[in-house]
Amino acid sequence: MADEFDIGEAIAGCAAGDRQALRRIYDLEGPRMLGVAMRLLKRRALAEEAVQDSFVLLWKHAASFDPKKGSGRTWLYAVLRHRSLNILRGESRIELSEEPVAENEASEDENPEEIVTRLSDGQKLRQCLEGLDPQRRSAIVLSYVHGLSHSELAAKLEMPLGTVKSWLRRSLISLRECMG
Amino acid sequence: MIDRPPTAEDARDLLAAEYVLGLTEAADLPQVEAFILRDAAFAAAVANWRARLAPLDFTAASATADERIWTGIEENLGVAPNPIPNRVAAPTTAPAAMASPPSEAPIRTAPTPSIEPRAPAPRRPAPTRPDAMPGLWNSLAFWRFTGLAGSFAALLLAAGLGYFMREAYRQPTLIAVLMTPDGAQPAAVVNAFADGRAELVPLSNIDVPPGKAIEIWTLWDRAVGPRSIGLIQRAGRTSLKLEGLPKPQPGQIFEMTLEDSGGSPTGRPTGPILNKGEATTAL
Repeated sequence: MADEFDIGEAIAGCAAGDRQALRRIYDLEGPRMLGVAMRLLKRRALAEEAVQDSFVLLWKHAASFDPKKGSGRTWLYAVLRHRSLNILRGESRIELSEEPVAENEASEDENPEEIVTRLSDGQKLRQCLEGLDPQRRSAIVLSYVHGLSHSELAAKLEMPLGTVKSWLRRSLISLRECMG
Repeated sequence: MIDRPPTAEDARDLLAAEYVLGLTEAADLPQVEAFILRDAAFAAAVANWRARLAPLDFTAASATADERIWTGIEENLGVAPNPIPNRVAAPTTAPAAMASPPSEAPIRTAPTPSIEPRAPAPRRPAPTRPDAMPGLWNSLAFWRFTGLAGSFAALLLAAGLGYFMREAYRQPTLIAVLMTPDGAQPAAVVNAFADGRAELVPLSNIDVPPGKAIEIWTLWDRAVGPRSIGLIQRAGRTSLKLEGLPKPQPGQIFEMTLEDSGGSPTGRPTGPILNKGEATTAL
């Protein structure tokens, strides 16, 4: 994984108009960004759109990124997530495509437990998620990684909507108090 | 592990957490994202949740990125809406660049950098670029808030990504961000919608001396000249009268001038330009 310095430097390069800098970011992070978008959007075409939009936005707004205010990589993925969630919300309102999602495009087999085990051992997030009971852990991971809404979570966990909301909030409080 | 119901203090933090998780209802998004802009503590809470959960993104498997994805990106880099060239060249300090001497034909004689083809401006860090604005200014009910907290650049930084909002139900097709002559302040936004409606959303108060008014103009063809599309006594959200005019196009100019309270007597701008912007397609 490229270190933090490389990304911040590349963003500064973008702000200065250096397209090679954008390409560097694309080479370093593009494939994984596509993976993140696929987890949220399921359809490859939408995920590609999210990634493309994000890079264009990164390019346009590189000058507004202040490395003193946070990590370049986090900013990158925050842009991607925001764009993906926008598309996801749009999708749920408008049926843009009638094609069923191809089996090999969806990655929902990636279950929450498996995702958590991929977090590095020493990481606080992993430790604290593992301190939650499995269903709570699942809910947080499913909403963040797969973009499930409260309703979808309620359906998946077979709980009433109101319960899921308050229950998720309590889990988030626990998580925050564990992580600091 | 602690398991307790949320307290009042928790409420804001949970709002931040849910926003980062993507759980905020679409209808609530404008409010929440506005809050990020207005409240540094809330913006920090959002940033903290992002940082906490970020490692989950790095568990994603890399997908193969076809080169055509990069091609698609490159194609859109060059077409980026440009900042108003006034910011690079000196803005007009003489009153009303769109004004013409009453005795002449209504074709502007002064150079108009904003509609002539121009060489690409040298790129430099410009936190006040108008293309940074569209999604944000359109969606927020900014008119509810009096004034803006801090400078535009500070807002962008504090907001992080608040400016990528999209009000899913009312997406404008075209947006013009009207900047003050020194290029530093976004003064207002014009939104044009697919159904032909257009509105003006001021972003901060505009000083209107007694006996004066703000007139809003649009220009799409120098041969036709500027047309008045609104007259307001004070800065406030207004519908613009575009009936009978050609559908707004990218590159179309919108500007506000200070006129006498009944509007310009000549049908052309006569007073000083308060702000000006060029329409671009909304992303």
